Amino acid sequence: MRNINAQLAGYWQASVVIVFLLTGLTSQAQTVLTVSGEVTKPLTLQAADLTAMAHTQVTGKDRDGKEHQYAGILLVDLLKQAGATVGGELRGENLTKYVLVKSIDGYEVLFALPELDPDFASRSIILADSVDGAPLGSGVGPYRIVVPGEKKPARWIREVKSIEVRFAK
Amino acid sequence: MRYWKPIFVGAIVMAGLSAWTMVDDPVPTGPYPLHYPASFGSRFTIPADNPTTQEGVYLGRLLFYEPRLSATQTISCASCHQQARAFTDGLALSIGVHGKTTRRNSMSLTNLLWVRQLFWDGRSSSLEEQALIPLGHTDEMGSKPGEAAHFLQKTKPYPALFKQVFGSDTITDVRIGQALAQFERTLISADSRYDHFLAGHYQLTESEQRGMQLFNQSPSPDRNVRGGNCAHCHGGAKLYQELFHNNGLDKQATDSGRQAITGLALDQGRFRVPTLRNIALTAPYMHDGRFNNLDQVLEHYSEHIQPSPMLAPELAGQPNGFHLTRSEKTDLISFLQLFTDSTFVHNPQFANPHLK
Repeated sequence: MRNINAQLAGYWQASVVIVFLLTGLTSQAQTVLTVSGEVTKPLTLQAADLTAMAHTQVTGKDRDGKEHQYAGILLVDLLKQAGATVGGELRGENLTKYVLVKSIDGYEVLFALPELDPDFASRSIILADSVDGAPLGSGVGPYRIVVPGEKKPARWIREVKSIEVRFAK
Repeated sequence: MRYWKPIFVGAIVMAGLSAWTMVDDPVPTGPYPLHYPASFGSRFTIPADNPTTQEGVYLGRLLFYEPRLSATQTISCASCHQQARAFTDGLALSIGVHGKTTRRNSMSLTNLLWVRQLFWDGRSSSLEEQALIPLGHTDEMGSKPGEAAHFLQKTKPYPALFKQVFGSDTITDVRIGQALAQFERTLISADSRYDHFLAGHYQLTESEQRGMQLFNQSPSPDRNVRGGNCAHCHGGAKLYQELFHNNGLDKQATDSGRQAITGLALDQGRFRVPTLRNIALTAPYMHDGRFNNLDQVLEHYSEHIQPSPMLAPELAGQPNGFHLTRSEKTDLISFLQLFTDSTFVHNPQFANPHLK
């Protein structure tokens, strides 16, 4: 009996190890966005984390020249969560900070930090995850920056994978 | 088989020549100024621990052309990166020390100072790190870690040269990589007819002018605008954007490309967008060298783009391709030929220093 128990315990341990390994691998594979750089709490986010965050709707004109409804997370909310110097702290030398957004394909665009802060800017720049109620398509999603009112959508960077806050040096 | 004999004899002669490497006395010293057009910009980083010096570039160039870095002492960096071909080798896949082919096509070494993610899959973020990868790869130069350094330590000119560059005559793989990186940073191509045109010193022919329009314009059938939209990825003064894309070579990619580095499904079959500098000299084309000439490349973008979920969005918008006419292809090719920089491929400062 003891032997059988020991054997069962062995199987149990092995399966626990396998489950741990699998969850470890999948959770690693699920990282969809990082927020790093000049922040107090760098973020490594999974799709579920982003889905759970408050969403804002904006309207913007894409390359097709048509107005679309985009929903997503305010960039400033992500920056707040990461502890970037927004709101009351966006003064003095912090006004020389910028945000570099990078895409999976290597494309990069830049925003000055005040462009994203509602105390400065009247438009809401979002990390969109849906357009007209549907998830963003391949080559565009899963996440795309939408800058309402910007005449040329070149900073509407597709396939966003990381957001870095940096100091201009 | 009969072709091997002269190659073998040639290799012996080459090895013999390089064994008598002559070193300038004195070796030039001091900072090495890097000259480039303002339009190239200064978005590059030179590591603080490996500044570009004349002595470092001098050593790096000797090493670049040094077959004794390879396990069999027959292959140098220059074997697969030949100056006359803008530092490529004219082969679909290169041949390493053991006679096996490499996995991918030899890349042109041009304007690497600005490249932030090196190799077809962008695996390497510095020239220092990059230079050691072919050195150690079994299907390239095949040297075991420390093997080449150990060998050079016993040769006449090298320990003294390393001392001059690094302050110590101990030769290490890291220092070999640093010296090679210094030389590679100097491989700047900015003197093609296209550069002369941008500077206002060359007038385009009518065909080149039409080719340039096709190169720069995105097609818009509604407005009756023809275009190949090449500049979207290959634009700018340096003729590339630092991007990784799947350009529709296959429905199902046979080489996972950047995916193997990032682990992202979206990266499957994505590869570096290469520079078009000297493109007429760097055939065959694509990461696997599948196209023998520029006609075949244009044929691909014109008629044969394969759809897949990973296909670059700019290409996905064009069913099967841009459908260029024969005369449009001719115009595009005459424009692409403007990117050939004969100063670069004949610059004596980049040539084999062992053959003086």
